Amino acid sequence: MSEPVSDAELVERFPWVQISHDSKHHFRGWLDEKLLINRCADCGNWHHPPKPVCPICWSENLVPTEVEGTGTVHLAMFLRQGAPAPGIDYAKGPHPVVAVDLDGTDGVRFSSTVIDLPISEVVIGLPVELDWVERYGHPFPVFRKREG
Amino acid sequence: MARRNPMRDEIAIVGVGSTEFSRDAGGVSPAKLGAQACIAAIQDAGIDKSEIDGVVGALEPGAPRANQMSAILGLNDITHHSSPMPVAVFALVDAMTAIFSGQCDTVLLYYAFTRAPWNSRSAAQDPFRSYLGGMMGGGLKAPPMPESIDPSAAYTAWAARYIHDYDVPRETFGRVALNMRANAARNPKAAMKTPLTMEAYLEARMIRDPLCMLDMDIPVDGADAFILTTTEKAKKLTKNPVVVHAATAGMVGMNDEDQLPSLARHGQHVVVEALKERSDVWIDDIDVFFPYDGFSIITLGWIENMGFAKPGQAGQWMIDNWDDELGCVMIDGRVPMNPHGGSLSEGASRGTGHLREAVTQLRGDAGERQVHDAKTALIGCGGFFFNSQGAILKRL
Repeated sequence: MSEPVSDAELVERFPWVQISHDSKHHFRGWLDEKLLINRCADCGNWHHPPKPVCPICWSENLVPTEVEGTGTVHLAMFLRQGAPAPGIDYAKGPHPVVAVDLDGTDGVRFSSTVIDLPISEVVIGLPVELDWVERYGHPFPVFRKREG
Repeated sequence: MARRNPMRDEIAIVGVGSTEFSRDAGGVSPAKLGAQACIAAIQDAGIDKSEIDGVVGALEPGAPRANQMSAILGLNDITHHSSPMPVAVFALVDAMTAIFSGQCDTVLLYYAFTRAPWNSRSAAQDPFRSYLGGMMGGGLKAPPMPESIDPSAAYTAWAARYIHDYDVPRETFGRVALNMRANAARNPKAAMKTPLTMEAYLEARMIRDPLCMLDMDIPVDGADAFILTTTEKAKKLTKNPVVVHAATAGMVGMNDEDQLPSLARHGQHVVVEALKERSDVWIDDIDVFFPYDGFSIITLGWIENMGFAKPGQAGQWMIDNWDDELGCVMIDGRVPMNPHGGSLSEGASRGTGHLREAVTQLRGDAGERQVHDAKTALIGCGGFFFNSQGAILKRL
């Protein structure tokens, strides 16, 4: 575990996204390379992105819960141009973006890229697992092909 | 779901005004374009500006708000004003409900569009548009990550899913683009009139694979405006009022772009169910069809979800209903699809082009693209997530 960061520092370290009191746990998890997905402690429902109450039972008893990060690609596209980001050069080739059905979450998806795989192999249905790279100096969750 | 429709045929559109849509209006502000369209609509309705007591102007980047437009045009004693979200039917429903409930009698509804620095190279060089750049990203210090599945990227992601689920070729999407371009050639106001072939579509620059630049609506400078009032008053103003028979929005709870459960149930499905409940007519009864085409995948969605074709069959349906001579869809040889050229070729108007052309067709004013004796128009506006809407317009 890294030292807990203050709210101000958290906002400073993630300049590209609007963080709220509802999503701060999720992004603090990134700093420890943990993917935390909200689960309702009362009804067991998972949801993402983080919301202030459980959309099913309206409980505020939400637990940011670490997931293993294995799953299956549900949506896949390839950016030929897009927002600038450290380490991404669209001139070198299309940048894959996927939405992954996360195992064990009853259908919650998490969107990121796939690394270390020819884009011809980035297809809907691909089994993937979570990994972490560095962007803007903070850990950033990505997927890679899951073997076996 | 409300099955009542007390507003049915009670609100009429009595005026339309529109600028030309262009890739670059050249030194004209969105406020001026909006004012030009508003003045044209008021003149078209044949009313004095003092009769306007409601102003509805959409929240478009750079466009004047309702209060600003009222100041620009010197509109006094306004009792209803609002600035709804795009796309067009939000504003239409807002204007209708305001009139029907007695908040006002006569509404000026307008949308003004201006190419933003982030979607047009020439706009990026226009110093008067530079302030719009700061509106992107909501004041964040860095742009959102490329992996953020925002609404526009999400249509590409779901297009990929559509291709996967139904094993359709890119030509299915290309046919949507071809339909719009052929129709735009018959519309003097359209921004893109150059003929388009399937070969050219397949070779067009990829933006987000599997969608290319011709699958995405074309940013324009331009404006549309409408005058709405009670049907009772409309009958005194004009011989040919166009009434709103039914109109609705539609949305499902899980509408986060990448969390939508599937293409089998989203906002468009809710719109279709609501319209069917509130309307006396449906797809077999219409004379002109307006499926939104901000992205080509949205058009395929409307074709299928309205019930013209089964899921995954919109491509074959377009082939089956293709008019080789005109180069576009003519449903049953008779009913065109976005005869003005849609957002893909007339220009990205958030559905106001569709609404304006519906009124124009129902008034019999569409010139060489006029549908013979058009009485009923069906509009499917917006996409899948949070802006699906629909409307049925009729000639009274």
